[in-house]
Amino acid sequence: MLLYYFIFSLLISLSILFFKKKKLSNSLIIVFLLGQIAITLFAYQHIDQTDSAFFKFDALGILFTMVLSVLSIASFYYSRFYLDYKDSSIKNESYYYSLLTLFIVAMTAANFAQNMAILWVFVETTTLFVAGLVYFDRSKIAIEASWKYLFIGSIGIAIAFIGILFISVVDIKNGVMALNFDELIQHTKQLNPLWVKISFLFILTGFSVKLSSVPLFPASIDAKTVAPGPVNALMSTALINVGFIAVFRFFVVFSHTDSFLWVRNVILIAAISSLIFSAIQLFKVKRYTRLYAFSSMEHVSLVLLGLYTGGIAYYAAILHLVFHSFIKAGLFYQITGIKQTYHSVWFKDSGNYFRIRPIDALVVLLGLILITAIPPSGLFFTELTIFKGLFLSNNIFIAILSLLLLTVIIYIIAKKIMHLLYGAQPKTYKETTNTSNRYAFIPVLILFALTIFIGIHPPHFISELINSSIVLLK
Amino acid sequence: MDYFFILILAATLVLFALFERVKKFIFLISFQGILLFGIALINLLHIDTLELVLILLETIVVKSIIIPVFLRKLMIQNQLKRVHEVNVPVFYSIIFTSFFILGSFLLSSFLQLPNINSRIFSIGFASIIFGIYFITIHKNIFSHLIGYLIIENGIFLFSVGVGSQMPLLIGLAILLDILIGVLIIGIFVNKVKDRFQSIDIAQLSQLKD
Repeated sequence: MLLYYFIFSLLISLSILFFKKKKLSNSLIIVFLLGQIAITLFAYQHIDQTDSAFFKFDALGILFTMVLSVLSIASFYYSRFYLDYKDSSIKNESYYYSLLTLFIVAMTAANFAQNMAILWVFVETTTLFVAGLVYFDRSKIAIEASWKYLFIGSIGIAIAFIGILFISVVDIKNGVMALNFDELIQHTKQLNPLWVKISFLFILTGFSVKLSSVPLFPASIDAKTVAPGPVNALMSTALINVGFIAVFRFFVVFSHTDSFLWVRNVILIAAISSLIFSAIQLFKVKRYTRLYAFSSMEHVSLVLLGLYTGGIAYYAAILHLVFHSFIKAGLFYQITGIKQTYHSVWFKDSGNYFRIRPIDALVVLLGLILITAIPPSGLFFTELTIFKGLFLSNNIFIAILSLLLLTVIIYIIAKKIMHLLYGAQPKTYKETTNTSNRYAFIPVLILFALTIFIGIHPPHFISELINSSIVLLK
Repeated sequence: MDYFFILILAATLVLFALFERVKKFIFLISFQGILLFGIALINLLHIDTLELVLILLETIVVKSIIIPVFLRKLMIQNQLKRVHEVNVPVFYSIIFTSFFILGSFLLSSFLQLPNINSRIFSIGFASIIFGIYFITIHKNIFSHLIGYLIIENGIFLFSVGVGSQMPLLIGLAILLDILIGVLIIGIFVNKVKDRFQSIDIAQLSQLKD
C-alpha cells in the first residue's frame, strides 16, 4: 500500500510543479491530504503488518504519522497565509507546495521504515527537501541556512550510515542480509559489545541533526531560524519525531544487549549537554524563530532524559513528543501572524501585541503556558513523570541540575514572549502595513485544545499505541 | 592485488593534501572511483551480474564520471583555479595525512576485528578522518564538497570492508540519494557564489544572533 502512496504523492507533487496552476494546485493538495489521512488510517487498521517489503506499520510509526498528518493539514492551511504574505509568484508557489508534499511523504516513509538502510535513505531525503524549503526565501541568510543544513545534515547522515554498517556486521555473520530491526532483535546475543558501543555513538551523532540535540544541533537551529513558518512547524515537530524514531529503533535493539547501560549513559550525556547548550544559547537569541528552535532542543533533552530513566518515563517521553509537536507547531504557525504584523521576527521590532491583535496575543499567551509545561498543559504531566522517574531511580543530582536549567529556560522564554505581548510598541510598527488575518488563530487554538484534552484525558488508542511501542524495551 | 589498490588509494589521500589546483582535486576524485571499483571487485564474496552492474554504476559511472563531470562544470562556472586559503601549511598536512593512514592501520591491527577485511577497513577509516580534516583546513565551500566526497568514498570502502551487501533495491536507493545530495550541494555552491560573490566560508556567518 505504501508503494501506491509513494507513486500517488510523487504524481501529485510533479503535477503541482509542472502545471503551475493555482486552482489545480489547491485541489491536488486536498487530494494529497486525503491520501495522507487514508494511509494513516490504513496503517492503523493494519497495525504490525509488513508493507511493501521494507516497511512495517508499527505502533510508534503510526502514532507519529497521525501527528504528522494532523500537522500537514495545518501546515498547508498556513502556507496559504505565508505565500500571500510573501506575495510569491505562481512558479515559486508550485516549487514550495511540491517540495512540502515530498517532505511529508519522506517523513511518513521514515516513520514506517523497518529496514535500517531504508530508514537512512528517507532521513537523508528529508534533508534534501528541507534544504529546498529553507531556501524558499532566497535571501542571503536563507542561502546560508540551507547550505549549512544541507552540508552538515549530509555529513551527519553519512556518519549515521557508518553506525548502520557496523551493525550490519552481525547480520552478515548470521546470514541475515535484510538489516531488519525485527530480525536484528533476535540476534542481539551475537552483537559484539564494542560494535554496539561505537555504532550507537555514530547513530546518535548522525541523527542528532534531525533530533536537534548535541552534537550536530547548530545546523538545524540555523535552518529553523529562517525557514518559512509552516515548514518550521513541521521541522520542529514531525522531523524531530523522525529523528527520535531513528534513534529509538536502535535503542530498542540495543536494550537487549549487555552494552545497554553504556548506551543509556551516552543518551544521558546528550540530554544534559543539550539542556545546558540550549540554556546558554537562549541568553543570546534575538529572534522568535530561534527562541522556539532552542525551546525544541530543550524538550528533546527532556525526552532523552526519559529514555535514560526508563520504566514509566519511556511512556512519558513518547507522549511528551506528541504534546510538544502540537504546541510547538501552533507557536510556529503563530509566527506567520507576528511576521505579518511587524514584518520581522526580531525581538527589537516587536511589542504591544495585546493592543494590536488581542485574540492572537491571547493565543500566544496560551502557547506560552503550554510550552512551559504549566498545567493544564499535557507537558506538565509528562515532565512530572520523567522527573518522578529520575528521583525514584536515585538520579537526584541529574534531576536537580535539569530542573535548575529548566527554570532558566522557562524564565528566558517567558521574558521574551512577555516582551512581545506587553512591551512598548516598536517605532517601526505601522497599522497600515499590518496584513495579519483575523481568523488565522483558529487552527492553532484547536491544536492547543487537543494538547490540553489529551493531557487530561488521554484517548485509549494513544495509550495503547505508546504501550505497544515500548513493549519490546527491556 | 588488494594491497596495490589500497596503497594507491592512500597515495591519493596524500596528494589531496599536497595539491592546490581544483582541477587536480577533480581528477583525484575520479581516479578514486576507479580504485574503488577495483577494490570492490576483488573483495566481493559472491558476485552475480546484477551486483556487478550496481557496483559498476556506483563506482565507475557515478563516482568517476558523473560527479567529476559535474564538478568540472561547477569549476568552470565559478572560475575556480587554485585553492589558496588553506589554514594549515601543506607540509604539515602531508605529515598529518600520513599519521591518519598509519594510525588507522595500527588501530585496526590492534582491534583485531573478526569478520572484517582490516586492510580495507583501515583505508576507509583513514579516508573518513582525512575527509573531515580536509573540510576543516579549507575555507571555501567547493573544497568542502570535495571533502564530503572523500568521506563518501571512505564509507564505500567501509561497506566493502565489513562485507556489507545491501539488497539491490536498497543499494540503488542509497546511490540515488547520495548522487542527488551531491548534485544539490553543488547547485548550492553556485547559489552561494551568485549571492555572496565568493565561496569563502567566512561570508556565511550572518545567521548568528
